Amino acid sequence: MIRFLIPLICLVLFFMEPVFGLFSPLNIGGELNYIVPRFLIMFLIFLTLYYDLKHAMFYGLFFGLLYDVFYIDIIGLYSFLYPAICLAAAAAFKKIPRNLLTATLLTLFLLALFEFLLYQFFLLISFTGMPLGTFITTRLWPTMIANSIFLVMLGWIFKSVMVTQLSERDNKIGLY
Amino acid sequence: MPQLLTNKRLILLLLGVILLVALISFSLRDRDNVSLPEQIIKDAVGAGQSVFSRPAHFVTGIFDNVDSLLNTFEENQHLKTRLEEFAGVQAEVKDLRSENEELKKIVGKEEDLRDFNPIQATVIARNPDQWEEKLILNRGANQGVKPNMAVMTASGLIGKVTLTTPTTSTVELISTLNPNYRVSAMVVGGEKDVYGLIEGYDAERHELLLKRIDANIELKKGDQVISSGLGGIFPKGVLIGTITEVTIDEFGLTKLAYVKPAADFSLLNHVIIADRLMPEVDGEDNGVTGDDES
Repeated sequence: MIRFLIPLICLVLFFMEPVFGLFSPLNIGGELNYIVPRFLIMFLIFLTLYYDLKHAMFYGLFFGLLYDVFYIDIIGLYSFLYPAICLAAAAAFKKIPRNLLTATLLTLFLLALFEFLLYQFFLLISFTGMPLGTFITTRLWPTMIANSIFLVMLGWIFKSVMVTQLSERDNKIGLY
Repeated sequence: MPQLLTNKRLILLLLGVILLVALISFSLRDRDNVSLPEQIIKDAVGAGQSVFSRPAHFVTGIFDNVDSLLNTFEENQHLKTRLEEFAGVQAEVKDLRSENEELKKIVGKEEDLRDFNPIQATVIARNPDQWEEKLILNRGANQGVKPNMAVMTASGLIGKVTLTTPTTSTVELISTLNPNYRVSAMVVGGEKDVYGLIEGYDAERHELLLKRIDANIELKKGDQVISSGLGGIFPKGVLIGTITEVTIDEFGLTKLAYVKPAADFSLLNHVIIADRLMPEVDGEDNGVTGDDES
């Protein structure tokens, strides 16, 4: 397989996020529902679980920085949170059984944590005045539902890509 | 594998947090000009982003077309009833326009606050975590886009340019919570034009707030609000929205009107950046630089 497959997937997911972001906010029954695509962080958590932490944190730092500079204009927010979430994923995955189901659930839990941290941060610097209840009903739920659909569809592909990449890497080390 | 949080890692983490706080405070303070590395990153990511946004716009275009096909019958009925009215209005507009031009010639006035040079732009990304209402466009300083220019769609004003790099520009939507975001506006429809400022957004009602209207002036529900051009940067006559409710503001001194925006902020594809022909001055539209009054 190609050596740059993982960074390539990261790059594609990074560019896909704002494209899907264009569909949001969705107006359902007079209520605006914000759906935030979080493909990259889910991929990075899978990378932590099935590949290794160091790579995941490095990619997290790099793409987090791009995200900060291009979209948010607050440097250091995503470039800190992406690696931090990866670290938390690695710590949590040691304590639970390893299979695709637990990995998916853990990813979704961390995603909710990630959203919540961001909400707290933007509340702190008063970019938003959204009350907690509104945040949960109009942002957190729609986002979690949309992202879990994405993860259920593509999670096993992520896993198989990483497992093959990992075995290839191990084989190469064995050669030398 | 060693324990996850050894001393060395703990120190690294702490250093990371300190660096993070420093960087965040730096970038929050200095938000109106872009440093060179940031510009390079923005341009590079913007180039990549426009590659990805093109097929997306194609797909949304198809959805839009299907959507409009489904509504064809109803729309047709509605339009038929309006058609006769329209012919009359058009004749009147033509007449008024030529009269206006003649009068301008007589007075010797050539430039108008209404005139602007439109720069067509495509939305290449919308801030994916939608905490701040931002768009990124594929036109930048090379095409003559400058900060604080008005950005609109065919149906009305949507925001203004906050940052530019050579090939991209960032637009802050009018539905922002930023308190420094002002647009000088006027209400038309009554006997006299009424001036006020669009200041703030009611996130629950999804409506803009038109503030600082003289308490003696009567405003009606349904009156149209347009940009006045007196703020210094925006052209005159860009439709902002219609008034839905008039109340007294929190101090009881001036009136406050809720304005329903004319433009739809979701699913934005193509926008127009208005480069005003009249010289631009520092004024109320210019919330980012040197605005001391509060």
